[in-house]
Amino acid sequence: MPRDTALTMTAAETDSDDALLARYATGDALAARLLVDRLSPRVFRLAQRLLQDQAEAEDVTQEALLRLWKIAPKWEPGVAQPSTWLHRVTVNLATDRLRRRRGVGLDTIDEPDDPSPGAVETMIDDDRKRALDEALALLPERQRVAVVLRHLEGMTNPDIGVSMGLGVEAVESLTARGKRRLAQLLAGRRDELGYDR
Amino acid sequence: MSTDRSDDPFDDTALDALFAQARAAPPAALSEAFTARLVAASLDAQSALVLPKPGWLARLRSALAEFGGAPSLAGVGAAGLAGVWIGFAAPGSTGDLISTVLQTAASVSPTATEWDGTETYVLATSASDLLALIDGDIE
Repeated sequence: MPRDTALTMTAAETDSDDALLARYATGDALAARLLVDRLSPRVFRLAQRLLQDQAEAEDVTQEALLRLWKIAPKWEPGVAQPSTWLHRVTVNLATDRLRRRRGVGLDTIDEPDDPSPGAVETMIDDDRKRALDEALALLPERQRVAVVLRHLEGMTNPDIGVSMGLGVEAVESLTARGKRRLAQLLAGRRDELGYDR
Repeated sequence: MSTDRSDDPFDDTALDALFAQARAAPPAALSEAFTARLVAASLDAQSALVLPKPGWLARLRSALAEFGGAPSLAGVGAAGLAGVWIGFAAPGSTGDLISTVLQTAASVSPTATEWDGTETYVLATSASDLLALIDGDIE
């Protein structure tokens, strides 16, 4: 690799997301590559956690990034972080898909019955992350979205309410029920997951 | 596997620890194929962008770059000033200037032959005086 190119690449790698997005808007192909590498894994993980479907999560990731590329020329540095903006867009795209899955509003979906007690017990993987993902997948959609946004993404209840089209109290209720359900699903795996009593 | 869940609750502390671990964990790398698709889509979108029109200063800078950048302005400016000076000073036509130079050269005095007679003598005299000084004939 020519020295100049190597220097340019090193400089670009240390640029902020803001700066890279500005470079993207001027036609810098390297900035495009670096932004994809930096931003897409987190977007995909969020979409996957919310949707529990790889193909749909990939679609949402692609759509969210596409919206970022389109807004790049108008992006105002310092106003918001591209990662924060992408997070919000991803949540909205994913919750829209969840609504369309059922053909009714997300907040009108009836809660399903508890999964059978043995559903989680049959899991043999003792990895904590895998256990959590598997338990999340068994949650009703609304509870899963609320728990993921509150406890894994660190969003505030009002922000979650806006994303889900719910009031704050409804979000709090969903989060509490989701946590209780998770505790039930993970019960019996405490030793297996290495937590002291 | 049979577990009495009431005897082994997964309490808030354990659940919060699980959440904290999940929050701290970096996301897994995406597959190369998916990443390649994302990059391709990014480059497609980039090529379709309507780039903002550059300002007049940027356009001037770009135009100047064709001629060597801002430093080239110094040469252009100097040439312009010289042109203005020539216009005001009106030193005459270049034809007059050439004939003046040639005539002056033709009337240079002394002529080459005169130079041959005088200067050679001076040089020769000077050389002999120098030798005499070296030998101590002249004090």
